[in-house]
Order: sequence, then C-alpha cells, then structure tokens
Amino acid sequence: MTTDHRHIGRPVPPRHHDRLVRGHGRFAADLRADGMLYAALVRSPLPHAEVTGFDATAARRDPRCALVLGPGELAARTAPIPTVWRLPGQPEDAVPVAVRTARYAGQPLGIVVADTPTAAADLAETVRLDLRPLPPVPTLADALAEGARPVVPGTGDNTAGRIRFGSPPEEVAAALSRAAVVVERAFTLPRLHHTPLETRGVLAAHDPGTGLLTVHASSQAPHAMRQDLCAVLGLRADRVRVVSSDVGGSFGSKVLLYPDEAMVCAAAVALGSAVRWTESRAENFTAAYQGRGQQATARLAVGADGRFLAFDADILADLGAYATQAGSGPAQVTGLTLQGPYRADAAAATVTGVHTTRVPTGAFRGYGMQEAAFLRERLVDETARELGLPATELRLRNLLRPDELPYTTHTGLTYDSGDYGAALRRAAALADRPRPPDAPWVRRGTAVVTAVEITAFAPTALLEAYGIAWSGWEGVRLRINHDGTVTVYAGVIAVGQGIETTLAQIAAEGLGIPLDWVRVELGDTDTAPHSDLSAQASRALTLAGGALVTAARRLADRMRQLAAAFLDTAPEKVRTRIAATAAPSSPDAVFHTPDGARIAWREVAHRGYRGWGRARPTDPIRLEESVDFDPPQLTFAHGAHAAEVAVDLGTGRTTVTGYWAVHDSGVLVNPLIAHGQIAGGIAQGLGQALTEEATVDADGLPTTRSLREYTLPASPDIPEDLVIEHTSTPSTVIPGGFKGLGEGGTILPPAAVACAVAAAVPEIAHTLTSLPLTPPRIRAALRAAGLTAEGDIR
Amino acid sequence: MNVRRITMRVNGTARTADAPHHLTLADHLRTALRLTGTHIGCGTGDCGACVVLLDGAPVCSCLVLAVQADGREVTTVEGVADGDRPAAAQRALVEEHGLQCGFCTPGLIVRMAHAARHGGGEQDVLAGHLCRCTGYEGIRAAWRRLAAEEDGR
Amino acid sequence: MTAVAFAHTAPDTLDAALRALAAPGRTATPLAGGQSLVPLLTSRQVRPDVVVDLTGVPGLTGITVGPDRVRIGAMTTLRTLERHPELAAALPVLGRAAAAVAHPHIRRRATLGGSLCHAAPAAELPAVAVALGAEVVLRSLRGTRSVPADRFATGAHTTVRAPDEMATEIVFPRTTGLTHTFHELCTRGATGYPVAGVCLGLRTDGGRVRAARVVVTGCGDVPLRLPGTEARLTGRPVAGPHPGLLAALVAEAAAHGGPEDGGYRAEVAGVLLLRALADRGEGAAR
Repeated sequence: MTTDHRHIGRPVPPRHHDRLVRGHGRFAADLRADGMLYAALVRSPLPHAEVTGFDATAARRDPRCALVLGPGELAARTAPIPTVWRLPGQPEDAVPVAVRTARYAGQPLGIVVADTPTAAADLAETVRLDLRPLPPVPTLADALAEGARPVVPGTGDNTAGRIRFGSPPEEVAAALSRAAVVVERAFTLPRLHHTPLETRGVLAAHDPGTGLLTVHASSQAPHAMRQDLCAVLGLRADRVRVVSSDVGGSFGSKVLLYPDEAMVCAAAVALGSAVRWTESRAENFTAAYQGRGQQATARLAVGADGRFLAFDADILADLGAYATQAGSGPAQVTGLTLQGPYRADAAAATVTGVHTTRVPTGAFRGYGMQEAAFLRERLVDETARELGLPATELRLRNLLRPDELPYTTHTGLTYDSGDYGAALRRAAALADRPRPPDAPWVRRGTAVVTAVEITAFAPTALLEAYGIAWSGWEGVRLRINHDGTVTVYAGVIAVGQGIETTLAQIAAEGLGIPLDWVRVELGDTDTAPHSDLSAQASRALTLAGGALVTAARRLADRMRQLAAAFLDTAPEKVRTRIAATAAPSSPDAVFHTPDGARIAWREVAHRGYRGWGRARPTDPIRLEESVDFDPPQLTFAHGAHAAEVAVDLGTGRTTVTGYWAVHDSGVLVNPLIAHGQIAGGIAQGLGQALTEEATVDADGLPTTRSLREYTLPASPDIPEDLVIEHTSTPSTVIPGGFKGLGEGGTILPPAAVACAVAAAVPEIAHTLTSLPLTPPRIRAALRAAGLTAEGDIR
Repeated sequence: MNVRRITMRVNGTARTADAPHHLTLADHLRTALRLTGTHIGCGTGDCGACVVLLDGAPVCSCLVLAVQADGREVTTVEGVADGDRPAAAQRALVEEHGLQCGFCTPGLIVRMAHAARHGGGEQDVLAGHLCRCTGYEGIRAAWRRLAAEEDGR
Repeated sequence: MTAVAFAHTAPDTLDAALRALAAPGRTATPLAGGQSLVPLLTSRQVRPDVVVDLTGVPGLTGITVGPDRVRIGAMTTLRTLERHPELAAALPVLGRAAAAVAHPHIRRRATLGGSLCHAAPAAELPAVAVALGAEVVLRSLRGTRSVPADRFATGAHTTVRAPDEMATEIVFPRTTGLTHTFHELCTRGATGYPVAGVCLGLRTDGGRVRAARVVVTGCGDVPLRLPGTEARLTGRPVAGPHPGLLAALVAEAAAHGGPEDGGYRAEVAGVLLLRALADRGEGAAR
C-alpha cells in the first residue's frame, strides 16, 4: 500500500450527493412500473372499536376500482407478522395484518386499489365501516388503572410482560441501606414522531408468470422486510425481492414491515400487477410507529463521600396496541444501559411492557439509551445538588477510568475502551465561557453530561442469549471486476448516513487504490448479503466495515499473488505503484518488481478472470471475497455533551445558546460524515428536549397530525455555537478499530438541556423530569416555585 | 373530472400536458412531467422540499394548483445546473456536507440558487426549509460559502 | 394526498368572479394566495365544487396611502406589505406584522384578504386589523358592505363573509392618533406557528399613556380587544411600573373563554405587553 491511498480518515463528501443535488434521487414515490395502480388504506377513525362491518360495495362498483381487500379477504391472504424480541410473559407473539378489532386510530383495516391516487382516496372514503366503539386506553395510567379494559382480549390486565436486569434485589437493597443520600424521581419520556422528511412508500410488482414479487420500499432493512413478507404472504424466499433505493430519512421508523405495507404487497399479488402506495404526511403522523414512550421511577444511592452505590429503576414502556417485531426492545435497552459510564456497587432495572390503544412504539435513534441517559444524568445532577457538590466533580469521581477497562456492568455489558473522564473534562472546558449580558427576565445555565453508546450490535451469542431471533453479524462481498474496478456488496443500506462512501474508503484503502475505482452496491436482496438488522443500531460501519477490512486484505493478497505469478517472482517482491488519479488500466497503476518488470492492475484482474496465474488448480478464480463478520463482543463509543441555555422566566421559553460535544467513536473513517451524523443527532435531540411530543386527546385520538402541531427544530433553533470534537480510542474488538456513531449525537441532548435549565433555575430543578421542556411546562414550574411572569418588569 | 391542457416553460423548455384541476403544481411536475426531483414532504408548506421558482420567485409547489402555472415559467431542481456543470449552490451543499438523505435538498437548492442571485440574509433564505438529518450545520455553511462566492464576483 | 376533484375557474373580471361565487346549486370557494386553502383542499377538509381563482381579477391588489386612510386591495401579498415604503411610513405595524407571518415562500403568495378570511385564532394580521380599526369591504352580486375588523371574525376560521361574498379591499384609518407595535411568541425560533401575541397602540404625552389599544392573539377564537386593560394603562407612565396589569389582562382574556391552557397564552400576551411597554417607555425617555 502506498501513502497515496490513505482513504481512512479523509473528509470526503458523500459520493451519491452529486446525484441528489441534481434532483436525480430515486425515492419510493419517484418509481414507476408499467400499468401501475395506486393504493389507499382504509383506516380506523377510532382508537378502539370492534369492526362489525366493512362494506365496499360502492367502491367495487366504481369503474376506477381495481381491488378492495377488507378484513375478510386479508385474513384469507395474510398471516400475522412474526415478532423476534419478546418480553417474558408477553401475551402476543405476532402483529396481525387482518383485524376485526381496531386497537388504535389510524390502524389499517383494508386497502383500495384504483387507477389514480385521487380515485383510490375517493373510493377508500366510500367504504362503510360499522364500528362498535370500545373504551379507549390512551395512557399508561389508564392502562394500569384498576378494572381497565384489557387491550389484548383475554388477558387479565394490560401488562405485556416484564424483565429484570442487573444486580439481584438483595444487592440493591444492601446498597440502598448503606447510602447517605438516595435521590428518587419520577420521569416521563413522551412518545415521539420520527418525522423523516420522506414518508413511507412501497411499489410492489407481482409477475404472475414467474411468480416473482418485487418490492421497492423506503426501508432501512430490506432483508428483514423480505423475511416478514414471506411469512405474511406465504411466499418462498426465492420469489420475493425487496429493493431499498434512496431512503429519505428513517431514524428507526422504517426498520420493520408494517401491516399497511404488507397490504400493498398482498394487493399486488392478488392483482398480478404493480401497486404503489405513498404515505401522506397525515398518515405518517397517525399510522407510522412512534418512538420512546416511557415512564420510570428511578433512584440513585450515594455514600457520604459521593461514591455511587446503586442505580435502580422501574420502567414502564408504552408498547401501544401491539408489541411489534422488536416491541419492548428500546425499553429493555434503557434497563441495560442505566448504569452508563459510572462504577457503582449495584445497578438494576425492571422493565414492564404496557399495552395502550395507541399506535405501537418501536426503534428511534438512540434506542432506549437516550431514555437511560436522561434518567441517569438527571439523577446525578439532582444528587449533586443535594450533596452541595459541583455536578461535574461528582461525575468525575464516579466515571470509570481507562485503567478500569475492560469493565463489565452489573447488567453484563463489557466496555472495551475509552477515556470517559477526558471527554467530560474537555466538554466542560469548551463550555466554560463568560456569559453575555441578558435581559433581566432571562437566566442562563450550563451543564455537562455523559454516556456510553452500544455499537456493533450485535454478537450472535448475545442475541441468542436474549432470545432475539435476528442475525447480528454482517456480511460483505468484495469483487474486483475484470477491468480492475471494484464493487462492494453489503447487507447494510444507505439512509443518508454516508455508508456507501465510508465503505468505499475502507475498500479502497485496503486494496491500495483510488476511491473512484470503487462502487458500493446496497439495498437489493437479490445481490446484497443477508442482513436482518442492516442500517440501524449504529452498526453498519463497524460490522460491514470490519468485514470489509478482512475481505480487502484477502483480495489484495490474491492480486499480489497473481501479479507475482505473471511477473514470475515471489509475492513478497511485488510492489504496487498506483497514481492518485490513475485508471485501472493506466501505466500509472501497476504491480512491479525491484528490477523494473511491471503489469497493469487491470491486466492482473483480466488475466485472473481467465483463470491464469493460479498456484494450484483448486484455487478460486473469481476475484471475489465474501466475509461474514460476527463481532466477538459489542464495542462502546462514548461522549460528553455540554449545553448552555437561556430561560425566559416570563414566557417559559428555553433557548439553547451554546452546545459542545466531545465524542469518541474509535477510528473515524470520514470525519466530515462523522461530524454530520453527530450534528444531525444533536439537532434531533434538541427537538426532543424542547418541543417534540406525540399527543392524544382525552378520547385517545391523535392530536399531533401535521408539522403545525408537531414542532421540528428549524435552523434558528440550533445554536450558532455548536462545537463537535472527537477523541479516538480504537475499538479493541473490531478490525480497523471502528466504533459506531449513528445514534451518539441523539443520546445526550435532552439530559444536557434539562440539566442546564436546572443550573439556570435551580428553583425548579427537581421538576425537570418530564420531556419536552415546553414553554407552558417550564412556566408552570416557575409559577409553582413562586417566580412571577413579570420578572423584573412591572 | 375537470382537466385542462396546460403549457408551461419548465427549465427552459415548453411542456404541454393535461392537468386535472385539483392537482397541485408539485403533483403535475412529478407525474405528468416526470420531474421527480421536486419532493413532497408535507403538503402544507412547512418543509420546503417542494420549492420551485414560479416566474422567477420561490414558492411551495404543493400550495399552487397546476392550472395556476399555465403559461408561466417554472424552474425545478433539475434545471438549476448549467448543463453538466453543477450550480454553485449544488457544489456548496455537497462540499459542506449540507445534505444527508437528500430529500429536503431540492427545495433548498432552488431557494439558495435564487438567493445567490437576488440576495437575502441567512435567516430569510433558510426559513421555510426543514431538514431532519443535518442539524442545519452543513446547510448554513453551504449558504455562507455561496454568499461569500457571490460577494467575491 | 390529493384533493377531491373540483373545477377551477379563473375569472378575469370582478363581475365574473362574483357570478362564479353566486352560481346556484354548487359550492364555490374563493382562492386567493392559496397558502391556507390548498392544504385544506388536498387534505380533503374543504370540498368545494368550484374553486374561484381571484389571481387574475383586476383591481384587487395595490396599496393607496391617503391622508386619512390606507386602502389595501384584498389580493395584495404579504410580501408587498412588508416591502412597501409608503405603507411603512404611514402604518409601519402592518408591514412588520406581515413579516412575522410564516416564512417568505408563504408570504410571497399569501394575501391580506386571504389572511383575514382564513381567520386563524393566533394569526397576526387579523389582530392588527382589529387594533387599527380597519374595515373589510365585502362584495357580492347583492352589493357591497363594509364590516369593521372587530366584527369580521366570528370564531376560529369563521367570519361574517357569506359564501357568495368576497373581500375586495381592507381600509385602515390613519386618524387614530395611536402608534402601534406588534409582538408575538412562536412555537419555535422565528419561523414557527404563533402561540400568542399582542398588538399595542399607544398615544403618549410626556411619557404617560394618553390612549391605548390592546388586542391579543391566541387567547380566544378571534383576536381579543381588551378595553379593561386599555383603561388600566391610560394615564400611567409608559415605562411603568404596571402593577397588577398582567393579572388583569389574564383575567380579562379568560372572561372570553379561550384555550384550555391554564391561562398560559394570555400570560404570554401579558408578558409581551409589559415588555413592549418597557421598550417603548425607554424609547420615549431617549
């Protein structure tokens, strides 16, 4: 390898962006097929109702109508979607596509297919639903109330299983009894809408001749979607192909097959033609699964010296109407990661799933870790206030030191490497600045918080131990083509996180070639290696990248061996000389020997494909290496975030005036992309801290139905003073030393902002346990604390 | 259904097609004219992904009826580049990493390319555009680069 | 989603527009800038048979600044209000309030008449029209009438406009002797939706309030003029102190019903009022 081809660590702009800025993206709603028809869903207007009638006579009589599938037809054509990660005691293990009882407003009950989108919408409206209303169960309190109606018929109450992680109860009790101070708070983490700018969408085409179903979908995990479609539609895997082309954001909302998407595919199969469905924004707000939704009581016990003795939490997770494929997964991760980067004598959490009559919840960037960080860091903050210690001092006393790693938490997570204290001290130093003069009604405050992030999810053994029926390994196929160019096939997919570019960088560096020789092909289940989890859980770069490091090394060795054979010398005598801008066939891209013999890179590949130059007749011919990488253990990224806020005592409005983040994600493949991932994650986290909350009214009907009611951060909401720095402690368990970073930015902002508000207005610190910190909520807390709205003006 | 045959000059070329009265300009561009670069993110004028120039002024094409654009001039993201050469706004967004998933990008490109010629402060230029991926950092950097380039001319 | 199919008609005379609106046996909706109407159509919340596009009707745009009054065509865009030097000199609050609406893409097409007829409870311009004592001119085949702005909106998104009527002009008097400012809090930064606001008109003399006009937004279904708050202000030093004013405003707004928010929006409007007074008191002292 020459220094010309050091690609890892270079801030290269993502490669497909040239296409996207020209308007040449291929998003689901952009795709067409011959004879394409259009679908509209018939959805329940009520949160809880028995469907006693589904009369589509009028729609079926309309000449524009191609097909209607109601609950009866769907029951005949679909099986329920299987689940993969369940709580012990969970009453249901599948999500039905065909239903006779609606359990949330917006639940799809049937599908109408017509010749235009307008006709489909018109005809869906003509379907007469007879609904017998059942009592809604919109909140956790409603669900757990004495005599509450069970959402899952035949169960005694609305709990959906329970699991306990960490130290045995007696150890926790012992730690609590030794404590000088125990701080306990009740927390509420609201449900959130992911709100990708692109809504969901499916183009399903069925060819009755071949029996092939080809589905283009805005999906984060096409292989998982294919598996679920096979199960739901009773199709053989070799007859189903799922392609995920450009995905306009997802953040966890496009990882699972949804019932409405399954209906579109069922309709395509029934019709033997192509059917497209594009979700409206209003549907996205009502029918797309939501994130978070937890209530918890959590406590931190400390000794008189400020040493952490125990973290303990009881977590209620609002699973909604159904436990989806991974159902309680995020809440389980909250329990698993409560202890965070601190040492403690004990740490434990009990997670209870609860059913409500709301749309199901599922993955959202930060997957339970944002929730854990909020509980933990707010508790630490409150404890510091009770002890009269600076919060940063208390944190530093209890953070694990580098010499204590590897360290296994009480919940069994083994941290591999990192310097948690260094990141915290650096973030604190960055945020330490003189405060500008403010209006008399403004108070400012700053806080620093910290977390570790699970990445490289997940080793097969770990998934097996938790009973999670997904594959956690990741595979790549690396190919040198006959002309010397290179194609990478991976099971992970691109959702805007730049993975196609970082994988190309890893392949190009491993092979010692220019970046533009490499193309990365993702998202087509016909060509991509199998991957269930694909692009989620901050795993794509660590696992596919880790596999690719190995594949590139093997293929580089094979090329060298072939070149040696053609040059009639020993492989160790062969060197490469490839100019930065050379083409594969160029005389500037050669293998050579010390005595001047040379052969072009392309020529080696071309001869290789003829089968020439092999040492033994049994040696492989195709210049391809397939590598499956099953990580030996998780690898943990970490970070510290500092926020400075200004709180308007009169209006209750909190403005983030400065934000400083220090992250350690191991070896950074592309600092530009890494920076963008962290910055974007922070913006999402700030929205979740201050404005975002998916709400329902007293009847259980969704009240956040558009971008008017659901406030996403806009440019002015992100502070100008946003600083992101990286330290680099290479992973000790991933080839290449990579750690993930896709979720890291999102995990800490709610904790950072809430702790900063607490610093600004200590009078209300103890109340800052529910998100988002909206102006009315802050104002109410200020009022309760006796801080009048007039402030210093009368 | 009421349909009118309408003609507009789109990215410099006259394009005639039937437009049902009830469809928006965004629908018409995407379906009848197959210009799918204009994205529909919300349909309520909140996100700005669908922004095009209508007679030279940026508008949300999801809030204009297609029939209202009859006889008028429209520029979409596909018409911003100078042939193969990307426009300065396109280059700035790529180089400053002002996009990730790219869904909100077309409207921003149209808006920024317009503002580069006609001026506008950062707040004004980015108002009416939502991005869920970047946290606006790269977008703001791209706009500053673009504004500086224009000032340098 | 797509709208339910309708017929679009773009009359090129006022008379043709009025006839289209009055056509019997079918529902017709006037289309001004469309920035509120089009989403209502595409989400199927509004389902007219005919959309009467007023864009091509002559005589509905323009700003005429006279000595006693300012006449503004109903189809004048908010962008024009923002950038009109003569209007800025005569009634500066109008341009400033217009600039606070939504974002530039919207303001390029949204119109003054459309904003008043859409009658969103927290909207800026209906409140300013009430504070300035504007009159909305409504035309139909039946004739012309002029409705004071404070009697124009009857509730959230409802007005006295009959289905066959359209707003043609809004007339603002210049003779109130008050100087107005507008202040609001939005759901985010500068580009969110309004939560609550206040339009404050003052006539001062020697640093004291001689006459006041207070209209708040977001605190009820329509902009609320608060005569009790105005009376409390009269005679006080502009810069304050204004003891009890905030509580009085909250109580006065609450008497109109208003949103179930524990008085939060009214309190915000009151805080904005106090800050506006402090600001203007400072200005008067300079």
